[in-house]
Amino acid sequence: MNVLRGFATTFKHILEEPVTIQYPEQSIEFQERYKGRHELHRYENGLEKCIGCALCAAACPADAIWVEAAENTDEVRFSPGERYAKTYEINMMRCIYCGYCEDACPTEAIVLGHEHRLSFTSRSEAIFTKDVLLVEAPEGTQATPQRVRPGTFDRSIPDMEDPL
Amino acid sequence: MSDTVKIYIDDKAYDVPAGMNLVDAAKMAGNDIPVFCYHPKMEPVGMCRMCLVEMGSIQKDRASGEVLLDDKGNPQIRWFPKLQTACTTNVSDGLVIRTNTPQVDQARENVVEFLLTSHPLDCPICDKGGECPLQNLTMEHGPGSSRMVYSDKLKLDKHVPLGDLIFLDEERCIQCARCIRFQDEIAGDDVLAFHERGRSLQIITNSDPGFDSYFSGNTADICPVGALTTADFRFGARPWELTEVPSICPHDAAGSNISLSMRLDRDHGGRAIIKRVMPRQNENVNEIWISDKTRFGHHFTRDEHSRLLCPLVRRGGNFNETEWKTALEYAANELQLAGGSVAAIAGSGMSNEDLWELRQLVTGLGGERLGAWPPTHAGADLVAQVGVGQGTNLGDLGKGDAVLIVASDLEEEVPIWRLRIKQAHDRGALVVVMNGRPTRMDDFASTVIHYDYSKAAGAFDLLQKEHGDTARQLTGAKNLVVIAGAEGVDLAGSRALMQAAANFLIESGHVGKPNNGLMATFPGANGMGQYYLGFTPEATQDIIANPPKVLFIAQADLLFDDPAAVSWLKQVETIIQLTLFAEEPVPGVTAALPIQSFAERDGSFVNGERRVQRFYTAQGPIGQALPAWQVLNRLGVQLGLGRSKLSASILMNEIAQSIPAFAGITYKALAHVEPQFPLVGGDDVYYGGTAYRNKGGLGVQIPAAADNGGAVTKGKVEKPAAIKASGGQLLVVPATRLYNRERVFRSSELVHPRVPDAYVAMNAADARKLGIENGDMVSISAGGSTLKVRAHVNGAAPQGAVILPRHLSDTPAPLAITAGEVSKA
Repeated sequence: MNVLRGFATTFKHILEEPVTIQYPEQSIEFQERYKGRHELHRYENGLEKCIGCALCAAACPADAIWVEAAENTDEVRFSPGERYAKTYEINMMRCIYCGYCEDACPTEAIVLGHEHRLSFTSRSEAIFTKDVLLVEAPEGTQATPQRVRPGTFDRSIPDMEDPL
Repeated sequence: MSDTVKIYIDDKAYDVPAGMNLVDAAKMAGNDIPVFCYHPKMEPVGMCRMCLVEMGSIQKDRASGEVLLDDKGNPQIRWFPKLQTACTTNVSDGLVIRTNTPQVDQARENVVEFLLTSHPLDCPICDKGGECPLQNLTMEHGPGSSRMVYSDKLKLDKHVPLGDLIFLDEERCIQCARCIRFQDEIAGDDVLAFHERGRSLQIITNSDPGFDSYFSGNTADICPVGALTTADFRFGARPWELTEVPSICPHDAAGSNISLSMRLDRDHGGRAIIKRVMPRQNENVNEIWISDKTRFGHHFTRDEHSRLLCPLVRRGGNFNETEWKTALEYAANELQLAGGSVAAIAGSGMSNEDLWELRQLVTGLGGERLGAWPPTHAGADLVAQVGVGQGTNLGDLGKGDAVLIVASDLEEEVPIWRLRIKQAHDRGALVVVMNGRPTRMDDFASTVIHYDYSKAAGAFDLLQKEHGDTARQLTGAKNLVVIAGAEGVDLAGSRALMQAAANFLIESGHVGKPNNGLMATFPGANGMGQYYLGFTPEATQDIIANPPKVLFIAQADLLFDDPAAVSWLKQVETIIQLTLFAEEPVPGVTAALPIQSFAERDGSFVNGERRVQRFYTAQGPIGQALPAWQVLNRLGVQLGLGRSKLSASILMNEIAQSIPAFAGITYKALAHVEPQFPLVGGDDVYYGGTAYRNKGGLGVQIPAAADNGGAVTKGKVEKPAAIKASGGQLLVVPATRLYNRERVFRSSELVHPRVPDAYVAMNAADARKLGIENGDMVSISAGGSTLKVRAHVNGAAPQGAVILPRHLSDTPAPLAITAGEVSKA
């Protein structure tokens, strides 16, 4: 009797679609909030969202993020406002993908993306620098630094319609 | 009990000093009343209204003085009908305040909400974010949400340079006027002001160049928001990322206590570098203020381009980079060949430990002459005799006390002393300034005496003979401090002047007591340390007159300081140079050995008030540089003169055993701290600003010989022959400028716009005679050098003399006063 019950389970599942996929030829669709590798985002005009405030580094429980800031000018502008990240590094060996950096970011610059294929063969390769993390400038815009009309981008934090 | 009163805070009784400011008194009692505009070092103004409290007083019967009781037997309290500002109240007996009632909470909430109506949401990029009074008090007392419309916030200029060093963010300013009041009340440079009224009100600077003050950086410390930021630190790091290391200002005799804010930096090879220099509280030395040179003059420590990175030795005609081992063997060999004809000249930036090892080495080799550089100021022995007494605090000087400043441009030489004496003058102290020309100190003097430079060494004779009233006022003062410089005198003249000053103090009995005695504006940080360790300017003169076979030049820029150095250095066979900088080597130098700056190692300096103060290792070493003491110790070991020593603290123990002045001084004793008032540097940055609490030690003041009842006697004043100019010559008086082109200051590029172009100040009558007009280029030949500089005919020089600031051009100006030719170039 027990044997029949066992086979019943087997036959029930035989007709189901398999859950395994042929990675890497195939891949599953990620949930929107999947926390993969970090990306530093840009505004539509190509300026970096990151303002070098280092709040991500402060929030990081693994001390994986290193930020050094510098000052923008209208001739050499990386981000809106006065401050930009001169150095931005994440040590991927330390990162625990908790997403606190994303929560702390006041400009939604750092976002944990869907890239999950991370491999490195040395310690120094595991340190992702700003040029690796920064996404491409949108089509038709200039990559940073940009030369802009004086007085156009004088605020670091974008104006908010509803601050609450 | 007469000097304390009983007050009640939140129904608890406290005994506090009578007449104290209520905010300070509450602070001492452990109750932090939040403030924005009030600062414990300044007069209250009651502008921000953050300190509102419920206030009342215990009622007494007018006739009997009995405390009136209510029905329940408690004292009757008459409350003010409205909340009162605590900062504008001084405590009196029976004062009652409540700081925790709903009304007070409501008031605080409303004040914060009001201040935030137009404050930008900048905290993530603001340099103050993390140590910001407004941020902290908003978290603590703020309403949590605002009733104001966000889009109504004013949009103003966020990058207004107030001069070259300080930037103003107009949006962030909450108009507390702390900066304006600091400049006016404390610094005495009234260069900031409010412009317009109401919502249009802004801070402006009314000087040209903008924010023309040597103390401007302090306003950024006391700014309760991020409205004022320094050009140096702007976006350098977030405050919580910094590691604080206690240190001592390496630039002047005040020995200001500082805190080096360190952080690793990618651009400097991942080394920890100084991100900013902040004041560290020492109420006896610099209170919570530092000069801008102290704050912005640190860049040389990390300047890999100008620092010497590895040892250099000369072989044949070539000057080659080499290993330490080779360089030390080479130097040791040269020293052995000298046959005892060894001497040393040490600069005033050498720490006590460095000087001790240098002394051990030179005396161990049979040398005797230990020279101090620059040889301009004599009389350190007299400061050791009758220097200001133990426990001296210039901040205590006030009514009935007197300060005499002679032959010094104090603002340019030791700015922190000038700041503190300005305040002593405001408190009612008699300040007498004697010099051959007008100086900034004249603005804060009760009496100004200008003498002829040819009589500078006899200034005290002049004071007693021709200004008897002033002399009597000085001798009759409760406390008297004399600060002597060496402007307009040569070394012999400086000795005569110092001796006369010492005699003047001994005669009137102003020695051996706190707040009485002699101070001198020795150049560099360790002028007194040089003396205590046996390095004297007289020995330097002797070395110049009879050069030895082998000469150590340690941390002294002879060629840049002294035009005559080129010629006498040629007579030295071997020069071993210990230097920070990879400058053009001194002609004939045999070995140049890289040493570490004050930021890279431990050590101690003795300041002008004879306070031994300790600085700590902050920065990683540059190149292969070693601490000077270690280089010298290794050389000694190589020569079989002693054992290898492991740390600077061991050297201090040796010094303490060998030199009586240092008896009992250990690194542990130097690190001793005590609570100081006002209590700054805690979490409550709103109270005292962002100056740091002293955790590195208050230092130990070496007693003067006159202290503890020691007998001192007057010495004979040996006045040298007056230096006179004749036959169309003029007296060339070298002067000190705070901002100059000395090597330790040259790397601080942000201050370059403030360094004056090389100039000479001339009297109008002399200029007319020579056909020179204001702004002409003139040529000055004096003391073996010829300089081409611009003439300033602006009333800054007396007739018959020209004032030639040193270290402004690449050609050295004469070391001391001399006669010279001035002509139109």
